[in-house]
Amino acid sequence: MKPSGKGLWLYAIVYLAFLYAPILLLPLFAFNDGTIIAFPLKGFTLHWFEVMAEKDQLHIAVKNSLIVASASAVMSTILAIFAARASTRYDFKGKGAIIGLIMLPLVLPEMIVAMALLVVVLQVFGDGALGLFSMIAGHSLICTPFAIAILSGAFQSLDKSLEEAAYDLGEDRISAFRLVILPLVLPGIISSLLISFTISMDEFIIANFLGGTQQTLPVYIYSSLRFPKEIPVIMAVATGLVAVSICLLIIAEYFRRRGVAKTGGKDSGGFL
Amino acid sequence: MTTRPMIELKDVQKYYGDYHALRGITADIRAGEFFSLLGPSGCGKTTLLRTIAGFEDITSGVVMIDGKDMEGVAANQRPTNMVFQSYAIFPHLTVEQNVAFGLRKDPRTKEEKAKAVDEALQMVGLKGFGKRAAHALSGGQRQRVALARALILKPKVLLLDEPLSALDKKMRENMQVELIRLQRQVGITFILVTHDQEEALVMSDRIAVMFDGEIAQLDDPETLYRLPKSRRVADFIGHMNFLPAKVVDEANGEIDVDVQGLGRCHINAKQAPGTNTGGEASIGFRPETLTILYEGQSASDRETTGSVEEVVYYGDMTYYDVKLDGVADPVRLSMRNVPGRPVLDRGTKTRVAWSPSALVLFR
Ligand SMILES: Nc1ncnc2c1ncn2[C@@H]1O[C@H](COP(=O)(O)OP(=O)(O)OP(=O)(O)O)[C@@H](O)[C@H]1O
Ligand SMILES: [Mg+2]
Repeated sequence: MKPSGKGLWLYAIVYLAFLYAPILLLPLFAFNDGTIIAFPLKGFTLHWFEVMAEKDQLHIAVKNSLIVASASAVMSTILAIFAARASTRYDFKGKGAIIGLIMLPLVLPEMIVAMALLVVVLQVFGDGALGLFSMIAGHSLICTPFAIAILSGAFQSLDKSLEEAAYDLGEDRISAFRLVILPLVLPGIISSLLISFTISMDEFIIANFLGGTQQTLPVYIYSSLRFPKEIPVIMAVATGLVAVSICLLIIAEYFRRRGVAKTGGKDSGGFL
Repeated sequence: MTTRPMIELKDVQKYYGDYHALRGITADIRAGEFFSLLGPSGCGKTTLLRTIAGFEDITSGVVMIDGKDMEGVAANQRPTNMVFQSYAIFPHLTVEQNVAFGLRKDPRTKEEKAKAVDEALQMVGLKGFGKRAAHALSGGQRQRVALARALILKPKVLLLDEPLSALDKKMRENMQVELIRLQRQVGITFILVTHDQEEALVMSDRIAVMFDGEIAQLDDPETLYRLPKSRRVADFIGHMNFLPAKVVDEANGEIDVDVQGLGRCHINAKQAPGTNTGGEASIGFRPETLTILYEGQSASDRETTGSVEEVVYYGDMTYYDVKLDGVADPVRLSMRNVPGRPVLDRGTKTRVAWSPSALVLFR
């Protein structure tokens, strides 16, 4: 249906402005030649980016974030492949309850999850165990429900007889899965990896609780915000993040559309 | 010479939980025949086909293919291939890759395999389509790819689950003829599942009519049509009229029956193919076995009178519902429209010719 009337258009524009205008302020101040975040703007500079390039702690945080996000994305996607496959293809006792429990972190306050995990890690492994591994474990836990939601859709839309046909043509269960199912759910797997990566990348609470001495990017940003002179540098970091996010989104959408075209399905929307 | 059947089913039982889906299926399917499983929705046709393919475990009974017991033999080890109702074409592969899918473990060289693929595509009329993306094909083309993909493996038995139901009428009729041609050409045993009686009659050497997980009758199309064993089979295949009847006498292969509206007549014992259930008897006959007599024509055998209640004109044929004198419900009869045979109006009084030799007794 076509939205009609000027009122609706105005509403849409105000809504979008409210949503995105604050983000546009980030690059504005990142290139502003002044230490205070306020109008009027002073002049154009790349100084903040130079400062950013020299901060070792920031580099470590970025590296940690990349490691944690990549590992969590892979972990949660692999787990989700098993879960989504099992829930869409097989019937077993207690299926609803099991899937429900796996999806629970989606609605559980993250604060609770983070505190509970912290207690467990400290009690069972001691505080030496806090670090990248514990963050990866925590992030896998919260990313898995999202990955399952995406992959269930991908597995659900597969015709069951495709797999049977492969089997009928002489393949065994594993090769039928590899040759037929996997290529067809590949766009879903890529989406799941990207979404999980993004979720882990900007997650703060678990990273803060379970990181120990290791900082991820959000934790670093948060701790830097206490120092006013650091703020323009943070703006530069944020600008970089926005750019990377947009690139990731474009890549994700490209793969999704290619997947849709390849299998000849109908395009039923996506990220973009 | 008696040859061993390609498939032997002995008292095959299948339960889905509490649901008794196959209730003792016993049948022999001959090598090289075009065999159909025909029945209404939910009668277990697909289940039986999947049982033969090895996709379903049976609860009890024996499935033998080419003399070998198939118990414990998985679907990928059986000498059968299946054409699925949805065709199950792999959408991420080309037509060629789809057809060659089953050749992956074949020891032949690449060139020999490519040649086999070309031949298979040619056989189903898809020559030159090899490089196309499979998802860009029409329904009829997908169907052909599915056929080529299964036939390239030279299975002993090809299983087809309602392969034509997704096609439009014209296409379906073309494919029926092509499937028959293909089957004669390759000589492979075809087992076709269908709920379309016309399709089964046109295509099959023999048909098993199934109701509620049981085979009600297994015969060639003509016997099935002319001498159905029960009213239910008769009703499922084409149209049949039924009249109440009484068996008066039975001796020396002859049955003496008194039929409402038609009177006393003798029929051969072969015209009572079904088992005697001891229930109420009735006489059945097909619409085309009754003929309207026009002015000056006379019956070669017997005749009776009635009046036309309904006329349905089909171009080449006209169907009449005629109320025979002494019968409560009208019977349907069909006449070919040839010159000199005007279509009658409703309410016309008419004479009708019939013959005891075309009657079937159910009891
Ligand atoms: N996996 C299953 N679990 C439980 N019941 C089943 C299963 N598969 C089939 N059935 C039941 O078994 C019966 C026979 O099913 P089947 O698919 O063989 O019917 P069909 O004759 O092929 O019907 P149709 O013409 O609709 O395809 C149906 O009542 C169906 O509900
Ligand atoms: Mg079926």
